[in-house]
Amino acid sequence: MREPTFLILTALAAGPQHGYGIMTDVAQISGGRVRLRAGTLYAALNRLVVEDLVEVDREEIVDTRLRRYYRLTPHGTQRLAAEVDRMRRHTAVAARRLAVLGGTA
Amino acid sequence: MDDRFRVSDADRDSVTASLRDHFAAGRLAAEDLDGRLAAALNAKTVGDLRRVLAGLPQTAPAVRQASPSPPQDGPLERGYRRLLACYPLWYRQAHEEEMLAVLMTGAPQAKRRPGIAEAADLLWGALRIRCQPSAARGAEPAWRDALAILSVIVPLIMVVSVAVNETHILLPGLPGPGWRFAHGFLPWALKGLAAPLAMGALVPLALRMRRLATLASTGLLILLVSLVSSQQSLFPVGHIILLPAVGLQTAALAASQGPRRGLKILMWKHAALVVTATLLVCTRVILPDPVARLIVLAGIGAAMALTSPLGRWLVLLLAIPAYPLFFFGMLPFSPGVGWGWDLDFLPSPAALTVACYLPPAALAVLAAVAARRASSRCGEPLDATGA
Repeated sequence: MREPTFLILTALAAGPQHGYGIMTDVAQISGGRVRLRAGTLYAALNRLVVEDLVEVDREEIVDTRLRRYYRLTPHGTQRLAAEVDRMRRHTAVAARRLAVLGGTA
Repeated sequence: MDDRFRVSDADRDSVTASLRDHFAAGRLAAEDLDGRLAAALNAKTVGDLRRVLAGLPQTAPAVRQASPSPPQDGPLERGYRRLLACYPLWYRQAHEEEMLAVLMTGAPQAKRRPGIAEAADLLWGALRIRCQPSAARGAEPAWRDALAILSVIVPLIMVVSVAVNETHILLPGLPGPGWRFAHGFLPWALKGLAAPLAMGALVPLALRMRRLATLASTGLLILLVSLVSSQQSLFPVGHIILLPAVGLQTAALAASQGPRRGLKILMWKHAALVVTATLLVCTRVILPDPVARLIVLAGIGAAMALTSPLGRWLVLLLAIPAYPLFFFGMLPFSPGVGWGWDLDFLPSPAALTVACYLPPAALAVLAAVAARRASSRCGEPLDATGA
């Protein structure tokens, strides 16, 4: 799973969000390192909707503009959890080995 | 409206106003009013306000939503709309307003036009969305399916046509136009088969690893272009057809789901038509006269185009590598369609290829612009190929 995808799913794990909310949330989660723009975000959202990881939650009119909220599907939640699990196992191994390395250095 | 959402002062005001109305109507006692007023003024969420009005004949307070008024349409918004016009129509109908809202929210007040990075990002997004299967339609667009079929068929065509032509070299006793080579036939025949066989080998590779096959196809294309540019006529089959054919195969592997999908939807009538067309047209054995070949090909093409949007896309895409055959076949001095560039005054084959594609490319661009203008005037999407 690529990093922007992972960050979008993480952002949506907090609850339904709209496009701009996802963008700010991703910037915050990654500490300002990953800055999603509208084109990339919506291409990713389209793909996630097709793969049934994300779905539309509701629509609102705010300040005369349409705002559409997205949320994770159950399948999306599962995928995110599986990915977190995988990364956690990998980082645990890496951390252990680094600790050993740090010990002998 | 979700109960967890926070409410504004305006919402609290409207609820306190309706509480006073209910008191005036006699539905609330004075102590009740005080209690509910205090609760309303301290309410933080929609749920809180809903509980304040519990038991009273009124719907739950909704966050006041401004009715959509016509957009302000400043220069920045116009700029964004122009960029968003590159997105496919079905996507724009669902998402344009939403994307515009996000873009305008993120733009600082003084911004007058979209930045370069932003524009590039939007165009890139449009390209990616065009290549993705669409969620809204539930079926593959016809052009993607056509490309998937072509990723199987184009190598097949090249192998068949080159093999038949090479057989003609190896067995010069066959009737038909003679060949211009005086060299030994077998090495030339094998060299001629090299590129088409490489194309054919990519098909089973693409069944397993499509991305690797796409890279290999791109590499083959670059290799062929560099060979052709250095003026060596290594391949008896015209570079003219080979280059567009490899280019088409590369595009087909990159933008579609590849031979796996192509083989699934390949209809045998399409395959039979295409192979027949190849044998009749590319080999010059059965029909030596170029005009007759053109007529036959046009007939087969029309038959395929009439069947379905998929057939139309197949004809359109196959016309790309087939076109130079006729362009050069029709020329009065007929340089032998690349069977050997032994004429010194001709420019390099690469330049010739580009030159021969310029007229139809220009026509295609003009037609697309005219179609866009016409559709925007009628207010309806014009999509002759049904994609």
